[in-house]
Amino acid sequence: MTNLIHMEFMQRAFLAGMMLAPLLATLGSFMTLRKMSFFADGIAHASLLGIALALICGATPFLGAIIVGVVFGLVVFFLERYARLASDAVVGVIFTAGMALGIILISLQPGYQPDLISFLFGNILSITWANIWTIFGVSVTILLTIFVFFRHFILIALNDDMAWTSGVNTKRLDALFYIMLSLTVVLGVKLLGVVLVSALLIIPSITAKIVAHSFYTYVSFASMCAFVAFVVGLIGSYYLDLPSGASIVMVAVGIFVMTFFGKVIISGKRVAV
Amino acid sequence: MHTTKIIEVKDVSFAYRDSDYVLRNISFGVEKGALVMLIGPNGSGKTTLLKILLGLLRPTQGTVLLFGEKPSEVRYKIGYVPQKLDFDRTFPITVREFLRFSDRKATEAAIDSVLESIGADKFKDKLLGALSGGQLQRVLIARALLSKPAILFLDEPVSGVDIGGEQNFYELIKKVKERYKVTIVMVSHEITVVNTMATHVICINKRMLCSGNPKSALSAKTIEALYGTDVSLHKHKC
Repeated sequence: MTNLIHMEFMQRAFLAGMMLAPLLATLGSFMTLRKMSFFADGIAHASLLGIALALICGATPFLGAIIVGVVFGLVVFFLERYARLASDAVVGVIFTAGMALGIILISLQPGYQPDLISFLFGNILSITWANIWTIFGVSVTILLTIFVFFRHFILIALNDDMAWTSGVNTKRLDALFYIMLSLTVVLGVKLLGVVLVSALLIIPSITAKIVAHSFYTYVSFASMCAFVAFVVGLIGSYYLDLPSGASIVMVAVGIFVMTFFGKVIISGKRVAV
Repeated sequence: MHTTKIIEVKDVSFAYRDSDYVLRNISFGVEKGALVMLIGPNGSGKTTLLKILLGLLRPTQGTVLLFGEKPSEVRYKIGYVPQKLDFDRTFPITVREFLRFSDRKATEAAIDSVLESIGADKFKDKLLGALSGGQLQRVLIARALLSKPAILFLDEPVSGVDIGGEQNFYELIKKVKERYKVTIVMVSHEITVVNTMATHVICINKRMLCSGNPKSALSAKTIEALYGTDVSLHKHKC
């Protein structure tokens, strides 16, 4: 264990994960209540276009993914709100178009593309100090924004019209939520990859729903679940020589299964999630 | 004579798409302290008109003034109870939290008081998703009253309440009006309680059909224009 902590790549991995896991879970707590899981998945896949564009331009793939992720998030927001298109239809088009274009652009690049593989399946051990500072800056900004507008985001999640009559600027805050969620998803891609990132958004929040008796306990428990899944998953993956992203997700699934059956056994009732 | 019209709707029309009008040339005024029932058949544009009154939709033409200002400018004077709260029933939020988040200035004592006044204090620590339709409707009214609004808008408030509970619900609305001295505008497709409940009735079916005291405004001809020939009014003991 001491060896593990002394390795610099592991220090960076722990720092990134300990910031990102609670952030993903907090945003995921609102996202699952708003039934936006497909949106997160769509943004993660569409960010592949940003990676491809960055590779072509010689820019940092992480930065390309962030920019394209946020742009696609805002496109979905405007199409849903103003063109009155169905959310799943909009995300479905964006998701496939972004990913398809990304694959075409990458196929035009000569040779093996290690960045592509790392974005598809995540490679937390390849996180740089520059990535850490980006993750730190974005995480602190998003968590502070959520803290300031906490009650507004809850009311919007419950009912948009009711939130408006409670004095909430629903359009602006909704757009802000889409931007924050897109940013968080793309940061999470670095941790878990395009394919697995939605796991840390969804699993901790549905686990927390099983035991929560108030909104504060719900968000706190979801963050705690994500944190534990990350730490146990990363340490486990190191000692068992397993892929880190997949190990973190499997620990999160394990916590969910234990919580679910624990609740069923203790309460003797069906549990809704 | 000086009248205190707190809602003024002048020549309002609304279309979701070009020329596809849901409402045409709607005009009426509502005085302070009135209990207004906005009635009309399904698809008559009642909910659209309510959304315009709340400032959620902008009229295609015409003007709406609440207290002489645009609705969006006076949101703090408005309480709103939606027809139904379409939310994830596993949403982990208690009734008390819901009220606290709805009005950040509300004290615990104010929350207790408003819940007690509408008979919802028994379930203040329950999860919102665990409430029945009638209980949820009471909590939504409590939320709307918490900020001490001058006008309370209710969209089809009995739609989620069982038939036996409707009578109690109308009695509750009357009590709320007396206790909170609030002007009430209630959207309904239920015509049978208008005479006993309302001091003012507004009838629409995409266009204006009547506005005024129910006894004079609700003529047989108006009712026929609203619902067809087979409908007549019954008096409830309310």
